[in-house]
Amino acid sequence: MAIRFRQVSYSYPGYGFGTYEAIRDVTLDIAATGEFIALVGQTGSGKSTLAQHMNALIFPTEGTVEIFGSVVGPKRDKNVKYNELRRKVGLVFQFPEYQLFEETVEKDVMFGPTNFGIPEEEAREMARKALELVGLGSQYLRRNPLNLSGGEKKRVSIAGILAMDPAILVLDEPTSGLDPRGKKTMMDLFRSIRGATGKSIVVITHDMDLVYEYMDRVLVLDRGRLAFDGTPDDLFRRNDLERLHLDHPSTIRVLKAVSEKLGIDLDVYQKDIASAVRELAKAVRP
Amino acid sequence: MKNIVIGQYVPGAGFFYRLDPRTKIISVIVLMVAVFLLGTILQVSLAFLAVLAVMLAGRISVGRVARGLRPLFVLLVFTFAFQIFLNREGALWVAQEMTVGLLSLSAVVVWTILWRLAARFRRMRSLFLLVWLAGVYAALSFLPAFGPVFARYSFEIYQRGVETSIFVVIRLLIVISLSTILTLTTKPTDLTQGLESLLRPLKKLGVNSDDFALIISISLRYIPTILDEANKIMLAQASRGADFNEGKLVEKVKQIVSLLIPMFIIAFKRSEDLADAMESRNFVPGKPRTRIHELAFGAADLVTAIVTVLFLAASILALVVA
Repeated sequence: MAIRFRQVSYSYPGYGFGTYEAIRDVTLDIAATGEFIALVGQTGSGKSTLAQHMNALIFPTEGTVEIFGSVVGPKRDKNVKYNELRRKVGLVFQFPEYQLFEETVEKDVMFGPTNFGIPEEEAREMARKALELVGLGSQYLRRNPLNLSGGEKKRVSIAGILAMDPAILVLDEPTSGLDPRGKKTMMDLFRSIRGATGKSIVVITHDMDLVYEYMDRVLVLDRGRLAFDGTPDDLFRRNDLERLHLDHPSTIRVLKAVSEKLGIDLDVYQKDIASAVRELAKAVRP
Repeated sequence: MKNIVIGQYVPGAGFFYRLDPRTKIISVIVLMVAVFLLGTILQVSLAFLAVLAVMLAGRISVGRVARGLRPLFVLLVFTFAFQIFLNREGALWVAQEMTVGLLSLSAVVVWTILWRLAARFRRMRSLFLLVWLAGVYAALSFLPAFGPVFARYSFEIYQRGVETSIFVVIRLLIVISLSTILTLTTKPTDLTQGLESLLRPLKKLGVNSDDFALIISISLRYIPTILDEANKIMLAQASRGADFNEGKLVEKVKQIVSLLIPMFIIAFKRSEDLADAMESRNFVPGKPRTRIHELAFGAADLVTAIVTVLFLAASILALVVA
């Protein structure tokens, strides 16, 4: 296992109001290869805090996180090379505005690799490859990252992490603020990255349609606690989704409504629109 | 950044929360003036006790104010040391010949290394600091001049030096505590409204107190936001391997640039958004505005004013008698 959370709790220090416990007693394992994990939960449930533990950006208040064999506990350990962990587990933040700063897209994507001591020419090559992977061709290299559109900025920020060639990729709401087509392209991109490299990918999202259609595993956080860890199929077959502040994917909702309204028997658990349509067609033309 | 209590408003209820901000601002200024009129250790100590009593009466946690003093600890220590070493009046209390030689210097170096090693045990840091200071003092004073001697120094402490340093530190403590009480119990919006109201007479001189108050309130409002944003940017860049603690100077500069540019961009964007939001709510610069909560003096303000005036009178009296 590449990342092991063992009874991890994290409290944010408050301004004299005591502390705010963002995650509590979380225990989970993430493998180094082949995983495609969705991290879901309502706003303020601790998703981002959990993600920031995965590359040792913040240290747990209690418990330990083991990242590729290095144990990250509440105290800074001089024997652990935290920067190395951040290279192994690439974390992309939600808002690209927080990291884009260079004059050109190419230089900005090179920032990560050069920080890890990769020679300039090699870093340039990695940046080019990463940009290509996210679908930004060579015409973007000389552009100013601050003048790009929101979706393009997002891609550049993802490329900035991909260029470091991390073993695991963690993305904080990569699809927020994108149009439906942009979301699909982004998720197809992650699927192709995983297909091509076998790297595990963790995605924070609010979009249950994407979770159902793309992911193999879901982690549900509810007020800081890990409330569910399993496959999307198992999650969406549960009857207590509302208690977890989650909703069903649209395919399930539509098919459920249709089967209840018309009193016909349908297999409502269809992962994407195409299979949902096929299921409906079956009911219409038996 | 987590322990900044100076300038931080903490919601609560109590005597000071009910006061009109204008009363608080004027009282704090008057009391500071009064404290600066005092001339002896006894007087400032009494004043300090009075401030503590006022804090307790107003149910303000002394511990919280003390925690707020922590960032200023260096300043206090510096002031104390400065006064004690440079003031050479009154009776001579301590006179110690010191030798800065090869032996004593190397002893100090070894002792310092030991101290830094011991300082890893965080719990007893202040104790270790004292032990270290004592050790340095002993090494410089009592070790024989063995080998080359670089300098001889007469370490002297005078009565007046000790007195003034205690005096100055207590006075500083009072001033800081008073302003902490003010900011701890007054909402930034109330504070600026109070300032605006107090500065209104200056309008005749061409100073626009409304604009001034607006500038202050917006700045205060955005301090936590920008701190929060700086923290997020730092984490985002740390994710890309920017290590703000280690590395060569050139790398450090580059990493600070990677922090500053996003911060400026976000700050500009925020200010544009704010301007739009204000305009869409029909804010017109320079036009008079009404308030939901008008400031009004109450009985508590009267009590505070009386206590403040009494305190000022007492310190003037003390000055005149002396």
